[in-house]
Amino acid sequence: MRYTIRRKAMTTLRRSEKSPTQILEKIRESLDKLNEKMDVFIEIQRHGQRDSQSIPDVLDVMTLLSLPDHLRKTAVTLCKLDQATADEVAEQTKRARAVESGYLNQLVLMGYVKKERRGRKAYFYVEKES
Amino acid sequence: MGNIIALHSYKGGTGKTLLSINLAATYRKRGRNVCLLDLDFRAPSLHVAFKAEGNGYWLNDYLDGTCDIKKVLVELNPSHKEGGRLFVGLANPTTEAIREMSAKDRKWEMRALGRLLSLKTSLFNEMHLDHIVFDTSPGLQYSSINAIVSADAVLVVSSLDSSDINGTQRMTRELYDLFEKKTGIILNKVPAGVLSTSSKKEKLLEHLRTIHNLPILEVIPCFCDILEAGGTYVFAEEKPEHPFTKTLETIAAKIEKF
Repeated sequence: MRYTIRRKAMTTLRRSEKSPTQILEKIRESLDKLNEKMDVFIEIQRHGQRDSQSIPDVLDVMTLLSLPDHLRKTAVTLCKLDQATADEVAEQTKRARAVESGYLNQLVLMGYVKKERRGRKAYFYVEKES
Repeated sequence: MGNIIALHSYKGGTGKTLLSINLAATYRKRGRNVCLLDLDFRAPSLHVAFKAEGNGYWLNDYLDGTCDIKKVLVELNPSHKEGGRLFVGLANPTTEAIREMSAKDRKWEMRALGRLLSLKTSLFNEMHLDHIVFDTSPGLQYSSINAIVSADAVLVVSSLDSSDINGTQRMTRELYDLFEKKTGIILNKVPAGVLSTSSKKEKLLEHLRTIHNLPILEVIPCFCDILEAGGTYVFAEEKPEHPFTKTLETIAAKIEKF
């Protein structure tokens, strides 16, 4: 069984004719996604299954002051950019994309930030009108 | 891109407005294009200082999202042959507007922060400004914290009053540091006796550096003629040789190297 899966995987790789760099890039993307999901699980455990949709909150300056330092930096950067991907936030904060992705997802879970998928990219923004 | 400088203080009456006006005028004289915004919605004062009546649009309207920032700005003395341009954005001084501003909810304040943050794109890119100066409300309140978050540098104006010094220390730890702002202190209205000799001044500076752990940009003595003028004219424009004007020139240069 294990042998069959490995052979199938090898055949798929050969068929796709991807370069080693492309394969590594694909693995990195998958690991980032896995990382995001792990952060979400950790956060759900920490906050006791809170549903992001049910606890909308306001990301005003008083909230920014009350956030832990690492999240505040991400939140302020997102406020400045209006809407951004984890990559764009990471470019400003000079932290790793995966780290910013984790922090942005934490802010989504806390109800301060919204997330929207457009194609393959996830955009984060602060909802101002409602 | 230019930078946004917010003048803030723990207590009121430290001289933020006087310094904001003269700093903006100093930059204009240095050939920079400057915009001075009155973000002290509880006690608007720039309309009096510049004897400007506004143009029907106030910063209140911009933060409300009912008009563009360019509609609010008024250019002062466009006839100046030398130097840059100076624009001013006024806060609505009517009692009704002050009352309305103090009753805004958190959601409004969040949107106001978004609008202040977007000034950078609209004013620096489209109007080719070099500096924006925010004159803020004292202490920890929404309008002043919004201004600080939107600014690149914060100048904290303090007196020698011990409660002012203590409050400034606290704000450094619990506000400016948390938002990773470049911060400098201006000690204003210092009694002449404290600065009578260079050793006394150095001793005071050393003491302040230990307390604040922040750069002390300048120590400004208490000038009786400034008090006598009562804010009727802009020292940096009208009295180019006055020591206060010279001090402002030093501060302006220091901020540009910040």
